[in-house]
Amino acid sequence: MGSDRAADLESFLAVRGDVLLRTAVLLAGSREAGEDLLQAALERLLRRWRTIEGDPEGYLRRTLYHLAADNWRQQRARRTRLRLLQPGAGAAVADGTAEVDLRDSLVRLLRQLPPRQRAAIVARYWEQLTEAESAQALGCSVGTVKSATSRGLRRLRELSESAGSAEPAIQGPARGTA
Amino acid sequence: MSTELEERLRADMERATRDVRVPPGLALKACRHYHKRAITTRAVAAAGTAAVLTAGALSVAEVTGAFGRPAAGAQVRTTAYVISRVEHALSAPDLANMVGYTRTVYRAGVTPRPVPGGVNSLADPAAISPQSAGYEVLWAYHRSTRLSFFTASGQPVFGERITVGKGSLATTAVTYASHTWWRAQSARPAAAGSASQGCLPGGQIRLNGSANAWPDFIHSQLACGAYSVAGKQLIGGVEALKITGGSGQITLWVNPATYLPMRLDQGGLIQVSFQWLPATRANLAMLNMPVPASFHQVAPPS
Repeated sequence: MGSDRAADLESFLAVRGDVLLRTAVLLAGSREAGEDLLQAALERLLRRWRTIEGDPEGYLRRTLYHLAADNWRQQRARRTRLRLLQPGAGAAVADGTAEVDLRDSLVRLLRQLPPRQRAAIVARYWEQLTEAESAQALGCSVGTVKSATSRGLRRLRELSESAGSAEPAIQGPARGTA
Repeated sequence: MSTELEERLRADMERATRDVRVPPGLALKACRHYHKRAITTRAVAAAGTAAVLTAGALSVAEVTGAFGRPAAGAQVRTTAYVISRVEHALSAPDLANMVGYTRTVYRAGVTPRPVPGGVNSLADPAAISPQSAGYEVLWAYHRSTRLSFFTASGQPVFGERITVGKGSLATTAVTYASHTWWRAQSARPAAAGSASQGCLPGGQIRLNGSANAWPDFIHSQLACGAYSVAGKQLIGGVEALKITGGSGQITLWVNPATYLPMRLDQGGLIQVSFQWLPATRANLAMLNMPVPASFHQVAPPS
């Protein structure tokens, strides 16, 4: 690993790092896990550094989604402390996300979705990617994106409604069109 | 078309990550991790195989004479450090699936012969026979090992396959000069294959052949003082750890990243080079011990 490559990476992160980390935080469920996810993606980027032509952001973004959808965190046995958050008010504080305001947030409920559903929802509603673009980012078919998004939204609605007075009821059909 | 849920989701995502900033040093951290992993990968690929196994190991043990001594006081700290690193290396899950390949060069006068469960080697420089081994090639994977001995000119002398079973060793040996082969079951040596070995005398090396047995062996023998750290030496671009045992008769050069051996020297009589290879179909096929159709079966030696 040359120091010039590290410098290139620093420059790249200085410009695009915050945006990518925000996506990573949403995909992973907490700031700590998001940083970990972004770091894992950066390591993969470094591995492919010489072969990537043009802007590395596309590769990095795809890697973030692939890792998140493949339940990357559970595959890291030594990092079990970074497990996906369980439902409950205390969870958001317990995993070191104090800096992120998650009170009464759908983001808190988002963490309770399976990784692929969460990734599909982040791609569609945070990044505002089309279904085709989301499928490319997640490395799956458009049909899988549609079903994951639909199920994820349905589950979010259920969770939101079951939260009772803490979470206002949500109306309207779930849609996943581009 | 957006629903209320989707709109609220977007707003919540924006709010939840509004203050997220890349922490300083993330790129450097990623570089360090990447670098560390790259070193390990290269080391596994370049350094060496597992396996002077039951058989090869026993031959080393038999040629060796003296007993190992505890490490000197000045070396304790270094040895303790190495032990801690070995413990770390033991957790590497990839080692278990590497195929060990070793090539052992013998000094003239070493005459090995196959016996159930291993090889007996006689070292007598004055008595060079047609059966004297020039070199040995050994393949090892999990509980199986195949050894092939050749003369210095490359003529096959004998081949042997040993499979470690529950409490026993199954051996099939083919001797090319006599066109014979035999098969035998023998008791498994107490220390062979055990996860945690005691202090082995004379710098003996007893392993079950799998790659991940090596760090365990190095750990146990350093811990009990049978081996000690004797410095570092550059081998193939890797700054290998030099470890000696058997009153200095046996020297192991160990890859500092994986704690797998790269080279072994046994009193100048035997030099072993190690490689670790992926468990491909072709590499695993090297563990087979084919018996030529024209060879006839004989009773195994006692």
